[in-house]
Amino acid sequence: MKIPPSDRGTIMEGTAFILLTQGIHGISYGLVLFLAASGLSMIFGLMDILNLSHAYLFMLAAYFAFSIAQVTNFWVALLLAPLAIACIGMLLERYLIKPVHPFGHTPELVLTLGIGMVLLEVVKSIWGTTMLTVMPPESLQGFIPIGYLKYPVYRIFIIVFTIIILCGLHQLFRRTRFGTIVRAATVNSDMVSALGINVPRIYTLFFGFGTWLAGLAGVVVAPLLSVHPGLADQVGLDAFVVVVLGGLGSLWGAFVASILIGLLNTYGIQLIPTVAPLITFSLMVLVLTVKPTGLFGDRQ
Amino acid sequence: MKITKGHFIIGLLLLAALAAYPFFSGVVYTNLFVRFLIFALFGASLNLLLSYTGLLNFGHAMFFGVGGYATALLLEHMPNAGLLTALFVGASAGALLALIVSPMLVRVRDTAFALMTLALNQLLFIACLKLRGITYGEDGVGGFSIPPLNLFGLVSVDITHPYNFFYFSLCIVGLGLFLMWYTTRTPFGSIMIGIRDNPNRVNYLGFNLPFSKTVIFTISGFFAGSAGALFALFQNLVSPDAVMHIQNSFTAIIMVFVGGIGTFIGPIVGAAIMTGLENLAVRYTEKIFLFNGLLLIMVVMFFRGGFVGLYNLAKAKWGSK
Repeated sequence: MKIPPSDRGTIMEGTAFILLTQGIHGISYGLVLFLAASGLSMIFGLMDILNLSHAYLFMLAAYFAFSIAQVTNFWVALLLAPLAIACIGMLLERYLIKPVHPFGHTPELVLTLGIGMVLLEVVKSIWGTTMLTVMPPESLQGFIPIGYLKYPVYRIFIIVFTIIILCGLHQLFRRTRFGTIVRAATVNSDMVSALGINVPRIYTLFFGFGTWLAGLAGVVVAPLLSVHPGLADQVGLDAFVVVVLGGLGSLWGAFVASILIGLLNTYGIQLIPTVAPLITFSLMVLVLTVKPTGLFGDRQ
Repeated sequence: MKITKGHFIIGLLLLAALAAYPFFSGVVYTNLFVRFLIFALFGASLNLLLSYTGLLNFGHAMFFGVGGYATALLLEHMPNAGLLTALFVGASAGALLALIVSPMLVRVRDTAFALMTLALNQLLFIACLKLRGITYGEDGVGGFSIPPLNLFGLVSVDITHPYNFFYFSLCIVGLGLFLMWYTTRTPFGSIMIGIRDNPNRVNYLGFNLPFSKTVIFTISGFFAGSAGALFALFQNLVSPDAVMHIQNSFTAIIMVFVGGIGTFIGPIVGAAIMTGLENLAVRYTEKIFLFNGLLLIMVVMFFRGGFVGLYNLAKAKWGSK
């Protein structure tokens, strides 16, 4: 087909805008991944626990959001569902994970795997296996124009919301007593304990905090993707890739890796659809082969 | 432990019981037993990494799956290949995959190792789904002809018969288990345990750590591959969900833990318990994951030695001498 010279510019611009919107898509997905992965990474950094059930707690939050949003609205869900997940997380840490922690990594990984399997089956038996949709709140349902295209407000909301949470995290770690204790315990938990601080309780609280972040991610992602039992595998595996890719325990690494994976995912699906699902895992394998500690990590 | 006349007699009786098993149990339970045998071999190959070398492999199904696919594809495209050739090709495919991935795996430890194997497993699973030209995607490779077992051109046994397949897999799995057990008894087996307990010291003693790990992966991959090949011959179908899925890796881990980590017999006992329990559980509930997950939590929380650990505990308490 011959394109008249006068139209060429428009088509070029159209392609550029599609690439741009895909870019924003990628960033918003990446930021959701970051929300999900940050808790995982921080828990590993402080407590040396890799919680394989994290992805399933994330999925559970999406289901909670669905049920709460049906009764009330999305904002209540955003407030309550993560809190419920945090409570579940603290109970899991206190009664299941903590007793097993002294026996090393292998029983712990297997235990959290078992918890994940139970959570998946519980979700299936309560909500079934069908795809459920959660509508974004009415104030966020519109579109804002970007050039020729209209861009959903909800994705912009995700970006803004995650950045607020990120700044909040920074303030929490720098300015509050809890943050100072956590940072000190990451370096030397025995010394913190000797100073008269109840470190096990800090651990439990912090585990709850990490799962609270996963809960936030689950609620925020619910209107974006449909809520179904495959959600944990779909987003959760990406979150694990993010944590390992960025370097276990490194929050900054997780941030960079999640944006990277988000962009690779959206551009990959558009440009090379057949092999797109392979990209994230190939990248992880490649990076770990070259640098086993991940991009920004210093421990395995 | 000294081998006495009593042990010898018990062994003979056990062998006789196994030989007579199909004629008493019927086809359904014979097939169930074959399933147990295949998973015992698969679990034991994982156990070489998990119990002996201390490496938590979350992606052991990739070796199993590659073995199954290699055998199935060979028989699909070359129906004249012999049965043992097909089996050997499957096992070698597992070993080859282990050789290919080991340069990446020997560098990482602990949690990163577990996640790396998980990623590799997922990578191969997706590859099996997407490379339709080779693997036929979700449908998998099925309906290939299964050649008869030809022993030195003398006798030809049709192994599509359930009873014959039972004896065939009994021999293969028995041989595989014996070879693995023997490996753990050699000096190399001591190196494996050394890597588990203190990798740095093994390195200082002059044993090339990455190379030793590569050899262990290859051995483990070989036997996992042969289990996969047996599975392909048994089901006459390999599909990504049946052989390559991450859930298969988890099943093997569950078997090792339920049976008893740290022992050779553990995964075999675990395979027996899990196959039996699953067969019982599916009659009453569809929620097999709930069941497996709860079992896993129970074992890790309360019986870290698994079934074998419980048995040893009971023997120490009530056993004579």
